[in-house]
Amino acid sequence: MSEAGEHNPPRLGASMLSRLRSMPPWMGALIALFLLMAITGVFEPAFLRPTNLTNIVNQQSVVGVIAVGMTLVIILGGIDLSVGSLLALAGGAGILALNARFDPQSAEWSAIGIAIVVTLAVGLAAGLLNGVLIAKGGIAPFIATLGGLVAYRSAATWIANGGQFFVEGSRSFRELGRGIPIPGTNIAPADADVKPYVLPYSILVFIGIALLGSILLNRTRYGRYVYAIGCSERAAIYSAVPVARIKIMTYALIGLATGLAAVLNATRYNSVNSANAGLLMELEAIAAVVIGGTRMQGGAGGILGTVIGVILLGVIRNVQVMLGFESHASGVVMGVIIIAAVLFQRLGRRE
Amino acid sequence: MTEVLQNPVIEVRNLVKEFPGVRALDGVSLSIRAGEVHGIVGENGAGKSTLMKILSGVYQPTSGEIAVRGRKVHLRSVHDAGGHGIAMIHQELNLVDSLSVADNIFLGREMTRLRMVDGRKTRAEAARHLDKVQAAIDPGVKVSALSVAQQQLVEIAKALSTNASILIMDEPTAVLSEREMKSLFDLISRLKSRGVTILYISHHLSEVLRICDRITVMRDGRLVKTLDAKEASERELARLMVGRELREFFPPIAPAGSEILLQVDAVSSPPRVHGASFELRQGEILGFAGLIGAGRTELAEAIAGLRRRHGSGGGTVCLRGDKIEANSPRDAVARGIAYLSEDRKGRGLTMGMGVAENITLVSLRRYCGPMLHRKREEEAARGHIERLRIRARSPRQKIETLSGGNQQKVAVAKWLEVEPKVLILDEPTRGVDVGAKREIYELIAKLAAEGRGCIFISSELPELLGMCHRICVMRGGRIVTTLNRSEASEVLIMRHAAGVKGEAA
Repeated sequence: MSEAGEHNPPRLGASMLSRLRSMPPWMGALIALFLLMAITGVFEPAFLRPTNLTNIVNQQSVVGVIAVGMTLVIILGGIDLSVGSLLALAGGAGILALNARFDPQSAEWSAIGIAIVVTLAVGLAAGLLNGVLIAKGGIAPFIATLGGLVAYRSAATWIANGGQFFVEGSRSFRELGRGIPIPGTNIAPADADVKPYVLPYSILVFIGIALLGSILLNRTRYGRYVYAIGCSERAAIYSAVPVARIKIMTYALIGLATGLAAVLNATRYNSVNSANAGLLMELEAIAAVVIGGTRMQGGAGGILGTVIGVILLGVIRNVQVMLGFESHASGVVMGVIIIAAVLFQRLGRRE
Repeated sequence: MTEVLQNPVIEVRNLVKEFPGVRALDGVSLSIRAGEVHGIVGENGAGKSTLMKILSGVYQPTSGEIAVRGRKVHLRSVHDAGGHGIAMIHQELNLVDSLSVADNIFLGREMTRLRMVDGRKTRAEAARHLDKVQAAIDPGVKVSALSVAQQQLVEIAKALSTNASILIMDEPTAVLSEREMKSLFDLISRLKSRGVTILYISHHLSEVLRICDRITVMRDGRLVKTLDAKEASERELARLMVGRELREFFPPIAPAGSEILLQVDAVSSPPRVHGASFELRQGEILGFAGLIGAGRTELAEAIAGLRRRHGSGGGTVCLRGDKIEANSPRDAVARGIAYLSEDRKGRGLTMGMGVAENITLVSLRRYCGPMLHRKREEEAARGHIERLRIRARSPRQKIETLSGGNQQKVAVAKWLEVEPKVLILDEPTRGVDVGAKREIYELIAKLAAEGRGCIFISSELPELLGMCHRICVMRGGRIVTTLNRSEASEVLIMRHAAGVKGEAA
């Protein structure tokens, strides 16, 4: 106990802490993101090239779409562990449908359309099942979706015989995995190797889903109910909130989002690896949500933070490749960032 | 640097505590004499709890000084405060249910032998401390097996085991029965005779007058006055607390109408409710009295669809002749039955959300189309804040930062939003300060005068007698009698509620 400290409580620390408290919960992740990008940009200017940055967001868009759904689920006070396995199963089912419907004689787009509908439908059905088990069956979300995590992966590898689902015949399916070339961005038109900048469709989908999720959460009755249930399910029941319906809807939405992510994933690789596709993606999505400041117990958080979290995780992975770090070590860095993010939030919380 | 002060065991000077936007303590100076029982009274939000939390090291003051036994101290944590002999017995007891009494008493200070917990020594020592509070409790039993009163004794024993000589008790009688209260008071006077200083916070003025030597009244974060208990009266204390004379406490009640609004017929929800039947008229305030566990809350919940109706058909509830679906809180609300829960923080309000979000939670449909109209929602909330005189800085202020009385008003506003035909109020004035109480009474009288039916569940008989047209008394899940306002009295109600022999009940 110093004499100086006796008279004046540590004013500087206190005022910093109070400023920290008034910051939005995703600010820590945003600051980390900018710092990381600035430092990497200094050491490796290629990092900041539009193509590389586009690449990062494109890479993350699959997990990003799922993470938007995961944000709803976690704010609701739940969790969904089944999304990674579901991504493989739904994507695989879509490719099977594509191959079955593909006919060189007729229009390819109808088969592709059906493949997409099947993928989305499998996602939606699995989500509904989770929702009903949790809301009507009274099974804890962790357990109900853990069942899906195990079962869907197994079903996918079983159907694919442990291997991959390949697109047979259709050539246009993979076109969906590309993007829009932006005219006029061909910086050196004389050089035939420099192609115009391409904005991938998946980024547009990710942005669209993030906006949609944000509107849903902040501007609709559904979103308000999600927060209310996350804060206190009992109080929501006592306020005549249709708790079961909202829960089922939320798990159905993340299932649908996973179906959409499965479409992005399958069109990108033109195949689905039954054993690896979406592996551990549930954990990455949860990590992104938590890094983005959404409270794990539910009741607070938002989509913007999740988007920042998703991109931060992508940047970390990319930076390690760029700077030539051991790629197997990326998990260690991510783990540290996740814990740091949560500690930062705790610091910011009152009392 | 260190000033030596005599006599007072705690001396507080110019204590200020600011929370974001609120000055909870505004320059409080107070001295506590060694060995006295010192009462602290005030309305909710007066700053009692903040002051006590600072003294027990939970909060740090924004400015001001504290001296314990003449030495200036900084209480940076509960542990620090404990080092100076200060211990607080919280309203919500802090024991670990799954551990034994002895393990709880020595939690964090385990007695060890060869680095292993010495169970025998722990129990023997625990027994010694339990003896000090004359608690006949086996130190080996789990806390979960104890009654609340016993748990409180364990807390006190635990505090004494740390050699605490200053005990802060926050509303210790809130959870106790009459008999348990008496033994607590005996314990307090025994502790006092052993030289323990006690700071006693309570809403109940009669209690404070009975056991305290001196009483400090707080209001709006300031100390109003410290009086000798011998010279104080309840009336005087109440006047100091609210800062004005309390005139006629209950508002005039208009006569009830004749139309039957709610017909409850043989509603059952064993084991807590058995075949309850009653009628509620338009404009009537119907009181429900009974001991804790008599089934009043459970009956209300069964009516509101929040508790399963079953057993011999479950019974029926009709509003103006229309049957209300059992087990559907949504149907009950849609038909115009509102239930204000006694559990304000757990069920009545959604902690973590704002005032406006809470107010519109039930009626949210009105502010959607299909997008939320946040502006209109805020306007509606502002209207309620003004009409019910809710002290909130903004409609988006988090509900948990409001005082108990203001929280209760928000909960009431939430139900007024749906324009209920029948309003069930379960302990609406519990934990609410005197001023807000009076406002709630006025509101109930007004709602009844508008022709709504009000069911008023309360454990405070004076307010039932002052407010209700009729009073149903429940015991063991049954309505044992219904008394008219003219015939009801505290004694008569208590007889029925307790099932005193010789009473036809």
